[in-house]
Amino acid sequence: MSDNTVTLEPISSLVEAPLEEQYVPGHRTCAGCGPALAYRLIAKAAGENTIFIGPTGCMYVANTSYLCVPWTVPWIHAQITNGAGIASGIEAAYQAMIRKGKYKGRFPNIIVMGGDGGTTDIGLQALSGAMYRNHDILVISYDNESYANTGIQVSPMTPYGGATSFTPPGAKIPEANKLWPKDITAMIYYGHPMVKYVAQASIGYPVDLMNKVRKALNKKGATFIHVHTACPKGWRFEASRTIEMAKLAIQTGMWINYEIDEGKKKVDHMPREMKPVDEYMKAQGRFNHLQAKHIQKIQNFVNSKVAEARPVAARTV
Amino acid sequence: MKGEKKFLAGLAAVAEAAKLADVDVISSFPIRPYTGLMVDLSQKVANGELDAEFIHADGEHAQLSICHGASAAGARTMTGSSGVGVTYAFETYSPISGGRCPVQMVIANRTLDPPGDFGSEHSDVLCARDQGWIMGWAETPQEAFDNTLIYYRLGEDPRVSLPQFNCQDGYFVSHIPGEVVIPEKSLVDEFLPPYKPAKPLDPQKPYGHGPQIYSDQGPILQLQRAILMDKAKEIIPEVLDSFNKIFGRKYPSYIEDYNPNDADVCLFINGAHSQTARYAIANLKKQGVNLALCKLRFVRPWTTDEIAEVLSHYKVVGVVETNNSFGISREAGVFTPEVAATLYNLPEKKRPILISFMAGLGGEAIRLDDFYFMAKKLTDIADRKKIKKPVYWIGFEEE
Repeated sequence: MSDNTVTLEPISSLVEAPLEEQYVPGHRTCAGCGPALAYRLIAKAAGENTIFIGPTGCMYVANTSYLCVPWTVPWIHAQITNGAGIASGIEAAYQAMIRKGKYKGRFPNIIVMGGDGGTTDIGLQALSGAMYRNHDILVISYDNESYANTGIQVSPMTPYGGATSFTPPGAKIPEANKLWPKDITAMIYYGHPMVKYVAQASIGYPVDLMNKVRKALNKKGATFIHVHTACPKGWRFEASRTIEMAKLAIQTGMWINYEIDEGKKKVDHMPREMKPVDEYMKAQGRFNHLQAKHIQKIQNFVNSKVAEARPVAARTV
Repeated sequence: MKGEKKFLAGLAAVAEAAKLADVDVISSFPIRPYTGLMVDLSQKVANGELDAEFIHADGEHAQLSICHGASAAGARTMTGSSGVGVTYAFETYSPISGGRCPVQMVIANRTLDPPGDFGSEHSDVLCARDQGWIMGWAETPQEAFDNTLIYYRLGEDPRVSLPQFNCQDGYFVSHIPGEVVIPEKSLVDEFLPPYKPAKPLDPQKPYGHGPQIYSDQGPILQLQRAILMDKAKEIIPEVLDSFNKIFGRKYPSYIEDYNPNDADVCLFINGAHSQTARYAIANLKKQGVNLALCKLRFVRPWTTDEIAEVLSHYKVVGVVETNNSFGISREAGVFTPEVAATLYNLPEKKRPILISFMAGLGGEAIRLDDFYFMAKKLTDIADRKKIKKPVYWIGFEEE
């Protein structure tokens, strides 16, 4: 693999983050959009020597219009199916062109910004292939827990009990979505022996998110970050409460930030005392229909996840 | 033609050409019969004869996705497939041509499922004839070698910048060795300049590739894609002239009008079966029957005026269809309606009678007897100036 890369230094606080933006105004995402904020932070952390691959999803449809794009770095559209496939090709091209003297420049950061559908569902094969082959790329799954751009349809990341336009609650199916989400981060790490770094991050913790991006980009080989990105439209909460919702997910255990760095697992931001998931459910319209027994099921699921993660928690809040 | 003579099958010939073209990124996935190409290329990479990234893709869709990304970044790419592998990748074809990425995909034809059948039928890649790719067939391993270089030169020309389906019949060309002259690398370099995309994915020159549009921007973008095919048509003679000069060959640009015996009936054909047809023509001459052959070199772009001009010299034309298109007009294959449309605006006196022969389906050989049968039908019609049937299914006809 190419040694012709730049090492990205850790960012100590938000005020120390680079002022330069690679994801700039001019897009038309919803007010309070979590994925757009994630994009801005990720692009900031990666810097100008970066190529983004954008599989179809919110961050394609809402970011690009009238042939305009909001990036100062190269960006290419991919189908919802093949973000990691196109990224594999770009990486292979740069490996070959630099080695053969056909490209004079540094090896770029190659980042796929895929939604949960484009990474954990229809794009999963391409993702697994790229991770297996250990291309020097970073795949980000910005997870708003549904196919949101098409009008909020269920994805493998939609929580149990989440209402979407394909999983409406009704007399026969009172809990709406009956399935439990995939554990994509574990799947990528434990299923792909060459992968050195995976992480979960949240827009509620921006410095941590940027540092995880830099850590991943500094690795030679395939890396994966799963970013929890609250979605006011899909989850049905006020646009001004995006960050509050992101933090509430951590505080209730509905989302857990962690990383696995060459075999070492570290859990971040885990509270000493968990808030009940009920608080999270009550704050979002997509859970309005749930009965106490459904919420209890979710609480049990979260309890077991937290119990599993707590022994390796590094930082608590 | 100068060079080293080798005895190679079609896919091995393409691998030799890829090596001389200094391909940068190759993506593979196994499916018969094209697999042999990747067996050869992987060995060349392993030996250090060819400095390329050889990627084991997770399926044909990934093969094409990898080449899309690599080509957009500025690499010369090669991939390939057969049969259902070609259709599995279908989603990627339009984004690649719309993205102006001159990926080369080598096709060794195979019948689509069902049933499982390894034989060569052209239906696989012909499904993708509307996807904005250059497309054509090689008749021999030598032509497969030559087409590889010709397609890269044509597809990478900045006036065109389009992907190419470099097709050959499975087994008949892909696996039957023939003499191939391998030219000096210096001649290949003279013919084929390095690939230099106008707007590569490069952080030093940032561009956005493939953003959304609104429908009012659609017509101009689609018109531009159509114009690219016209451009390709325009520069094919230039590319072929250059190839013929440098390598000492005599390829016609669009269509080969093979009429050694001054016949007034001809077969319209593409691919490997042209070889058998040439033998049939020689044998028929001894029996006093004159038959000609019009072999298509490019299916895309379809060169309407040139094809019409060649066919206008014949009284009867028989289209050999080695593909299926169920329910299509005239109930034959996909070439018949195209040829009919091509001839439609000719003055009546110059417009030949048109019939079709469904032949070689499922990969069955088209035998000499089958060509004699076709010749008889064509000459009968020429004599009587009347057609009995518009379509003959070879092997199922009583007379």
